[in-house]
Amino acid sequence: MGRWIRWQGVVAFVVVAGLVAAAWFLLVDRAVERLIEQAGTAVIGAKVELDRADATLIPLGVTLSRLQVTNPDEPMTNAVEIARIAGSLDGLNLLRRKVIFEEVALDGVRFHTQRTTSGALTERSKQPDGTPPKTGDLFSLPDIRLQDPKEILAKELDGLKSLKLADQLRAEVEAEEGQWKQRIAELPDRAKLDEYKKRIEGLKSSGKGGLGGILGGVAEVQKIQEELKRDLDRLTGAKNDLEQTVASLKQRAGDIAKTPQEDVKRLMERYSLSGRGLANLTRALFAGPLAGYVETALRWHQRLEPLLSRSTEGKAEAAEVEVVKPLRGKGLDVRFKERAPLPDFLVRTARASVEVPAGTIRGTVKNITPDQPILGSPMTFSFSGEQLKGLESVTLDGTVNRVNRARPRDTAQVKVAVYRLEHLALGGEGAPVTLKQGLADLDVKASLEGKRIDATVGSRVRSVQMAVGGELGAGPVGEAIAGALADIKTFRVNAKIAGALEQYEVWLDSDLDQVLKDAVGRQAKAQIAKLEGQLRAAIDEQVEAKLSDVRSNLGGFDPILQDLLGRLNLGKDILKLGTGGIGGKAGLQLPF
Amino acid sequence: MLKTIAKFLKILNSDAAPGQISLGFAFAMVAGFTPLMSLHNLIVLFLVLVLRVNLASFLLGLALFSTLAFALDPLFHRLGLALLTAAALETLWTTLYNSTLWRLERFNNSIVMGSLAVSLALFAPVVVMGNLLVRQYRDHVMQWVLRSRLIQAFQASKLYGYYQSVSGWGG
Repeated sequence: MGRWIRWQGVVAFVVVAGLVAAAWFLLVDRAVERLIEQAGTAVIGAKVELDRADATLIPLGVTLSRLQVTNPDEPMTNAVEIARIAGSLDGLNLLRRKVIFEEVALDGVRFHTQRTTSGALTERSKQPDGTPPKTGDLFSLPDIRLQDPKEILAKELDGLKSLKLADQLRAEVEAEEGQWKQRIAELPDRAKLDEYKKRIEGLKSSGKGGLGGILGGVAEVQKIQEELKRDLDRLTGAKNDLEQTVASLKQRAGDIAKTPQEDVKRLMERYSLSGRGLANLTRALFAGPLAGYVETALRWHQRLEPLLSRSTEGKAEAAEVEVVKPLRGKGLDVRFKERAPLPDFLVRTARASVEVPAGTIRGTVKNITPDQPILGSPMTFSFSGEQLKGLESVTLDGTVNRVNRARPRDTAQVKVAVYRLEHLALGGEGAPVTLKQGLADLDVKASLEGKRIDATVGSRVRSVQMAVGGELGAGPVGEAIAGALADIKTFRVNAKIAGALEQYEVWLDSDLDQVLKDAVGRQAKAQIAKLEGQLRAAIDEQVEAKLSDVRSNLGGFDPILQDLLGRLNLGKDILKLGTGGIGGKAGLQLPF
Repeated sequence: MLKTIAKFLKILNSDAAPGQISLGFAFAMVAGFTPLMSLHNLIVLFLVLVLRVNLASFLLGLALFSTLAFALDPLFHRLGLALLTAAALETLWTTLYNSTLWRLERFNNSIVMGSLAVSLALFAPVVVMGNLLVRQYRDHVMQWVLRSRLIQAFQASKLYGYYQSVSGWGG
C-alpha cells in the first residue's frame, strides 16, 4: 500500500488547491468587472464602466460600485449612473452556471450625469437602428394670418365652382343657339305658309259648278288643311321646346348666381381661422414635444431589447435538446430539459432608488431575465415617489412580457399629480409659444405589441401662464390668439398615439381649440367677416361677368321665338281661311 | 524542457516502477486532452499527488498531450457532439444535466465530452502499453544508451550536474 500512496501528496494537493483558490479570489473581482463592462458595452454601443466589483463568498454575492452607462448619442453624458449595486447570489445555481440573484439593491440611480471622458467607442459595435421613428409632417405651426382676398383668389381662381359652372353654361347656351337656328331653318317658313294660302284662295275662286265640282273642292281644301295642321303642330312643338330650353337655361343662370356662397364658405374654411385650423395649432403646440418623448422612449426600448429577450435566431426553442454556440474554439454547449428550469441569468427582485432633480423615486423590478419563456413570468416594475420637489406624486407601473416570444407585449402606466411645468417650449425649439409655468396632472397608458404602439395620454394643466412670441402675435388675428393663450389659466390635452413603430400617428384633442375659437369669435369676428365679404364680392364680380355673357346669349333666343310665333299666327289665319267655304265671295254653302 | 527530459531519463533509468511512470503518463493524457479548468482535472491532480505517480512523466505528458489537444479539438468536438446528441443517451445526459455536480463538470460541452471520452478510453491501454515499453527499454535499450557517445558527452556537461541534482525525485 505504502508503495503506491504518497501521503505528503495530500498536503501538496491542499496547498495547490489553496493557491488556485487564492488566485481565483484575487482575480475574480477584476474578472466580474471586465465581464460587466464588456457585456454592457456590447449591448449599449457606448462605454459601460465600473469603478469596482467586489465578490464575496460568505454571504455569496457581489457589490458593484459606480456603474456608468454612456449615452451613445451624447458620449460626454451618462444615460444612467448607479452609485452602488449589491446582490446576493444563489450559490447552488451558480455551481450550475446560472446567475440567480434573489435580491439586488440599486442605490443612487441617476440619469444624464456628466462624464469626465468621452464614452464613445472608437469602433462602435453593431447597434439597433437608432433612427427615430418617422411620423408625418405634423409639427410646423400653421399660418394663422388672414390673407389678402386678392391673393386667395389668385391661388384659388381655377378651383372656383361658380366660375366653372358659368363657363359651362355659356358654352351650352352658345351651342343651343346654333342648334335652334338650324332647327328653325328646317321648319315651315312664311313662304310655305303663303303657298297654302294661295292654294286655298285658288280653290275658292275657281267656283266649279255642279255637285261634283263642289265635292271635289271640299276634299282638296280638307287635304290642304291637314297638311297645314301638321306644319302648325311642328311649329307649336318647336316653340314649346324653345320656351322650355330658355326657361331652363335662365333657371341655371339664376342658380349659378347663388354658387359663389359655396365657394366663399369653402375658402373661409381653408383660409380663415375655423375650428379645424385652430385644432392644427393645438396639434402643432403639443405634438412635437409628445413625439420627442415617444421617440426617446422607443429608442431606449430598442437598446435594452437584448437585455429583455435573448435572440432566438437559429434555435429550436421547443426542442428537447438545444445546442447553444458559445465562443469560437470552445466547443458547443448542449442543453437538456431541466426538471426545474431556470434562466441562465435572473434577478428575482431589484429594489432601486432613483435620484431625479425632484427627489428620490423608489421602486422594484421583478423577474429581470432575457429568458422569460424559461421562467414563465414577465418582468414587472413598479415605482413611486411622493412629496417631491415640484411634484406631488408619481407612479410608474408596467410589464415587459416576453413569455411568448412570438407575441411580445409591453405595457406601462404613468400617473403624475401636480407636476410643476416651467419654461416648456411648445411646438418645439424656436416655437413662439412657451408654457412659462403650470401644474400638470398626467395619466399615460402605453402598450407595445410587437412592432405596434398604442398609447393614450390624458393631461390637465392648471395655474397656467403662457408667453407668446412676436411671430404668432403678428396681425389682428394673431394678436387675438396670443391674447387668448395669455388668458388661459387651465386646459386639458388628450393624445392618442397608435400605429407601427416606424410610422405611428399622433391624434390630439384639447379644449384649447374651443378657447381659441371663442377668442377668435370675440376678437377677430370683424376681420373674418370682412374677409368673407371681400371674397364674396370678388367672386360675385367674376361670376357676374360670365353670367352677363350668358344672359346676352339667351337674349338671342327672343327673335327666334318671335319668328316662330309669327309663323304660328300666320298659319292659324290661313287655317281659318280654309274653313270659310268654296265658290263665290261668300263661298259655297253646302245644302246639308 | 531540458529539465523535464533530464528528469524523465533519470526516471526511465531509475528503479521507479514502470507502472508509476505509465500511470503518470496516462493521467497526463486526461489532463492534457481535456480543458484544464475542468472539475475532473482536480481529481486527476489529487490522484497524481496522492498516488505515487511519477511526476516527471506526468509533467512531460501534460505538455505533450496539451499540444496534441490543439490539433485534436475538432475531432473531440465532433465525437462529443455525437455522444451528447445521441438519442439513446438522452435520458442519461438529461439526468446528469439536472445534477449540480455534473453541470459543474461541464459534461455537456462537446469538447469536454469528446476529449474525456477519448482519454478515458485510452487510459488503460496507455498504462499497459507504458509498462511494456518501460520494461522493454530497461531490458534492451538502457545499457546501449548509457554506453553511447552522446550520453558520455552529456554526462560531461553542466546538464548532467542538474540531472544528478534531481536524482531521487519523482519516484
